[in-house]
This record gives sequence, C-alpha cells and structure tokens, in this order.
Amino acid sequence: MKKAVSILAVAVTMFWGTGSGIAGETIKVGFVDTYTGPATTFTNDVLDGFKMAAEKINEKGGVLGKKITYVTRDDKFKPDIGLTMAKELILKENVDLLVGTINSATALAVSDLCKKEKIPFLVTFSKSDKITGSMGHRYVFSMNENTEMAGRATAKALAKKPYVKYWIAGDDYEYGHAIANGVFDHLKTLNPKVQLLGQSWWKVGETDFTPYITQILAAKPDFVIVATGGGGMVNFQKAAQSTGFNKKVPFYQHTAIELSTLSPQGPNAPEGVYGTANYLFYFPATKENKAFVEEFRKAYNRYPKSGALYGYMTARFIAKSYEKAGKIDKEKFIDAMEGMTLDSPVGKMEMRACDHQVTLPMFFGVTKKSAQYDFLTATDVVSVPGKDYMPSCAEIAKTRAK
Amino acid sequence: MDFASNLFSAGTLSQILVGLSRTTILFIVSSGMSLILGVLRIPNVAHGSLYMIGAFAAWSVIQFLGGGLFAFLAAMIVAPMIVAAVGFVLERGFFSYLYEREHLMLLLLTFSFALILGDLVKIVWGPEYRSVTVPAFFQGSAEIFGLPLPWYNLFLLLVGPCIAVFLWLVINRTNLGKIARAAAVDGEMVGAVGINTGWVFAFTFVLGSFLAGLGGALIAPMVNISLGMDHSLIMETFLIVIIGGLGNMWGALLGSLIFGLTQSLGILVWPQFGIAFPYLAVVAVLVVRPRGLLSSTW
Repeated sequence: MKKAVSILAVAVTMFWGTGSGIAGETIKVGFVDTYTGPATTFTNDVLDGFKMAAEKINEKGGVLGKKITYVTRDDKFKPDIGLTMAKELILKENVDLLVGTINSATALAVSDLCKKEKIPFLVTFSKSDKITGSMGHRYVFSMNENTEMAGRATAKALAKKPYVKYWIAGDDYEYGHAIANGVFDHLKTLNPKVQLLGQSWWKVGETDFTPYITQILAAKPDFVIVATGGGGMVNFQKAAQSTGFNKKVPFYQHTAIELSTLSPQGPNAPEGVYGTANYLFYFPATKENKAFVEEFRKAYNRYPKSGALYGYMTARFIAKSYEKAGKIDKEKFIDAMEGMTLDSPVGKMEMRACDHQVTLPMFFGVTKKSAQYDFLTATDVVSVPGKDYMPSCAEIAKTRAK
Repeated sequence: MDFASNLFSAGTLSQILVGLSRTTILFIVSSGMSLILGVLRIPNVAHGSLYMIGAFAAWSVIQFLGGGLFAFLAAMIVAPMIVAAVGFVLERGFFSYLYEREHLMLLLLTFSFALILGDLVKIVWGPEYRSVTVPAFFQGSAEIFGLPLPWYNLFLLLVGPCIAVFLWLVINRTNLGKIARAAAVDGEMVGAVGINTGWVFAFTFVLGSFLAGLGGALIAPMVNISLGMDHSLIMETFLIVIIGGLGNMWGALLGSLIFGLTQSLGILVWPQFGIAFPYLAVVAVLVVRPRGLLSSTW
C-alpha cells in the first residue's frame, strides 16, 4: 500500500511538474476552472477570450518585456478539487495570480486561500454576490456581474412594466434563490404595488417542467420570474415552447437572451422571453464590438459569448495593471488594478476600488426570431449602465462589516 | 395556502395527464430495469447510462437524417437498437462471467460500467449539451380547460400503453418470455431441462437495454441532453422498482404511476415543495409494505 501511494505520488508530481516554468521570466497566470461537464459551454469561452488577448499582448512584446503564460487545472465543478488545484498552482507552479472559476463555492474557497497566501485572484464566472460582497477582501476581484447586480438591473427594467401579480419559479439551489430574491426584493422597493402570488421550486436537473408550467398557468400570474441556471435554462425554454407558456404569460430568466442559452435550441427557442446578459455579440453594434467579434470568429470559428468578454478583459486588465505597477509585484498589482478603467467591446469597464467589482453594462431584452442567424436573438435591448445597478460602496461596507 | 381547493381546480385533469406522460417515461425505463433485476438478478446501476446513451444516440440519428418527423421516428427505433447492442456486448462480454458470483460483485461491476459509459459518452459526444427539437408534427399544445397540454405529452400517453401491451405479449405469449419467467423463479431448473439459460439472459438484458434506450430517446426532445442526466433518473428508477416489488413488471408500472402522479399533483397542491411528494409516497409505501406493493420475484 505504501509503495502504491509513493508510486502514485511520484506519478502525480511528474504529471504536474511538466507545466512549470521558471518564475520571473514570464507572467504566469493559473486557471482553476471547470473543464469537464456542461459548464464548459461557459468556461471555454473565458479561456479562449483570455488566450486571444494574451497572444496579442505577447506579439507586441508582452508586459514589461515578459510574456503572459498560463496553466490550467480542471476543478470538475467540485470545490474541494478546486481548492487543491489552487494550492498546487500557488505552491508548485509559483503562479503570479489565479483566475477562475464558474462554481461559486469553489470561488469562495479559493478566495479564502488567496487571502491567506496574499495572491491576487480574479473571478471570471462565479455569480455569488458574496465574492465581492460580504466575503470580499483585498486579494479578490470579480470580472463579471453577480446575482445581486443581475437582480437590481432586472428590477430596474421590470419596475417600468405594468405587471402586478408575480410568480417565482426556479432551481432549488443557492443561485436560483439568489437570483429570484435579488430581482423580486429590489422590484418590491422600486414598485411597492407588486405582489408575490406564489412560488414553485424544483430540484436542480429537473427534466420535465410541464407539470410546473400548467400549475403556474392555473394560478394566472401577470409575470413569472424563472430562476434557472446552467442546463435548466434550455430545459425550461423547451418546455415553455411546447406548452406555449411564453405566449400566455411573459417570463424572465437571467441569461435567457444569451447565446449559450439560445444557440443550442436553434430556430425553435421560445419568443418573447425577457432576459439579461452582460454580453451580446450583435449589441451594441459599435466598431469596438464588431472588431472583437471578428477577431474571435477568426480565431475560433464561432461567436463569442459572455465568457469570451470576461476572459478577454481579464487578460487586458492584468497586462495594464502590471504595466502601471512597473514591476511584477503582487501588492503593487492590486494597487494598480484598483480604479483602473479600460475600453472594452461593450464600452468602458472600471475596476471599482472599494470592492474590487468590475463595473460593466447589463443588457435587458426579449428573445425574437432572427432573419440573419439560425438561432434567436434579443430585441428591444436596453443597456443598463453599470453604475445604475451596482450596490454602492457604502452598502458594500455595511455588508462587509456585518 | 388552500390545499383542497387547489386539488379540485380546473388544473387537476391537465395535471393528471401531464403526470401520466411523465409516468410513461418512468415506466419504460423502470420496466427494463425490473426485467433485468427479475431474471438476471442484476441491480443494474448502469441502466441510467444506457438511458443517457439512448438520448445522445437519438440526437445523432436525427442530426444524421437532417431532422423532420421521419428522422424523429427513425431515431425512436434506431437509438434504442444501438443501446440494445451496447447491452448485448455488456452482458455477453462481462456480466455473463459473473452470474455465479455474489450479487455484490455484479453490483460493483454495473457501477463501474456506469462510470465507464459516462466517460465514453463524453468521449463520443463531447462535454457540451445537445438539444433535439420536437418535430413540427408534435409542436404546440392542446387545450384542456384552458390549460395547455403539449401534443408531445399526448403522444407519450399513447406510447406508454403500447409498450405495456408489447411487454405483456413478449412475457406471456412467447416461448422466450415463458422461459425467462421460469428462469426468474428457478434458473437452475430451467438449465436442467436442457434450455440454454445464457441466451435467455442475454435476450432479457438486451430487451431491458432497449427499453432504457427508448426511454432516453423519447425524453430527448423534452430536455437538454447532457452528461449527468443518468444520475437523476437512476435514483427514481430504483425507488420505483423497489416500491413496485423487485423484478415485477406490473410493480414497475404501479410504481411509475405513483411517482408520476404524486409529483404532478403535489406541484398543484403545494408548488414550493412539489419535489418532496413522490419521495413521501415512497416512504409511505415502504412503511406499509416493506417488500413492495406487488409480489417480488426475489
């Protein structure tokens, strides 16, 4: 047994050792993210977006004469594996900073580790508001929106609508409840007339939504907030399409208008579904966005999704911050990151100094069949500027003090 | 919340019909598992993986034939056949060597195949999820007291009884079925009268796999086909087989009915905790009849 363990240990070390370079010659970024399972629809775009930006920076001579390199580790969507991988990247690979992950529990665990090890950690897809909220600290940064922000942005858009009787339905886990509460609580403060008619919660991975849908229809709400995540997004939309749910009651899902939700369904996705997203490759139709889409398509032969924007901007924020810091130093890097503003395909993005939360616009729109693409796209898109839907620095300070 | 008025509302009938269409899928998959459990005595943990392969294979067939009603119907036949072939290889290549060993061995082997098949699916079809659209013929929904019931669910309501009748015929009216039933009761005796039980077992396993594949193919248009869809189902299937009576086909039907209906009616009564109802029903059944509702072949 002992022998087997030691052989295994040697094998593992050899396997891990292959990726290590000599520290100091390059800027080494360690990725801990989910690279197996359904989450890859989102995470591969983060990595590809990052690669695209890093390659361009390296071609121009890198940052302070050093090239940006990266190593990846698969956390298999499990926090314990993610934490082990993060430790390994810090201790053995000597990475300068960590980037990842799509699993909020993993992100919080790695964030805690980075706080102790004093390593900067840039979160690229986790949506828990705790990351930069109640559990935020000097070493963690969020490169995407969170449930609190999505809730506020949506509430802002919905408050202008005439709906009164709301129904909440969703995946029975942290993300589902966080999104649903985020939207409804803020909606209630913006428009005190709204009332909650009832709620339905199903287990994560539920396959048949028809019984839930008929029940909701029987209750006759004006509007339904559907809090599904991951695979549940497509499953629910399919059920909505086959029951005609979307034609009877308008409903909202965060990321409903995103490419990752709409493209697998082709032209048969339900129309008239309200959704929010941080990125749409066709909106805004600015020169910057078009150039980004063009470049991404040339490199990977597909349209970029939100993840691509997060990954791309993460690489650019890293490069710019080291440049500003003037040397490869973790503390100086953080000081440089704070308050940094960069142009992005969707307009200016700012790394807010008080909570390390990136400020970026949120798009609110409705799904509609498209003449141009073989999948649905969003129409009537409203851009909610970042500053309009972020909790204020004072609010964050209050949450952190608790 | 007023539970009673919820239960006797206009939604009840449509909710029952929706529950019955869910029952169809559960019955098709769990009858296959029950068959294998009854005759071969294998608690096949890999049954869920076969169901998942059925769904992925249906996607491939529909892609290959370019969509439409014909492609869809072809997929409903070809995909289960592919799964049946996988089942044949599993039974002849691996399981058949372990019948003399303890059940635990077989259980472990099926568990390892659940993992292996899961990875094979990832290698063949990739980690991203796939989606099959309902053919135009089944799109849209019927109105029942003003509430929608998708045509596809109605189609499932037709398929369910057909499969039940088909299984009844195979088991009760064919020689092979009779031998399989006899082998379930006393395999040794069947062998002693000169019947090659090995092939009876192979046939049963292939039929069980076919049913798993059919369940996967039928559910494909309703869900997104993804890795992990096996896990959620295998749990329910085992519970259904247990409350119905191990190895009893009609027990599987009864168990599926209980599961499907308590879920859809539970949602009607108390939507926030709809998930809990089927499991409460399982507990209730097991308290009253610990060996299942119908007689077990074990």
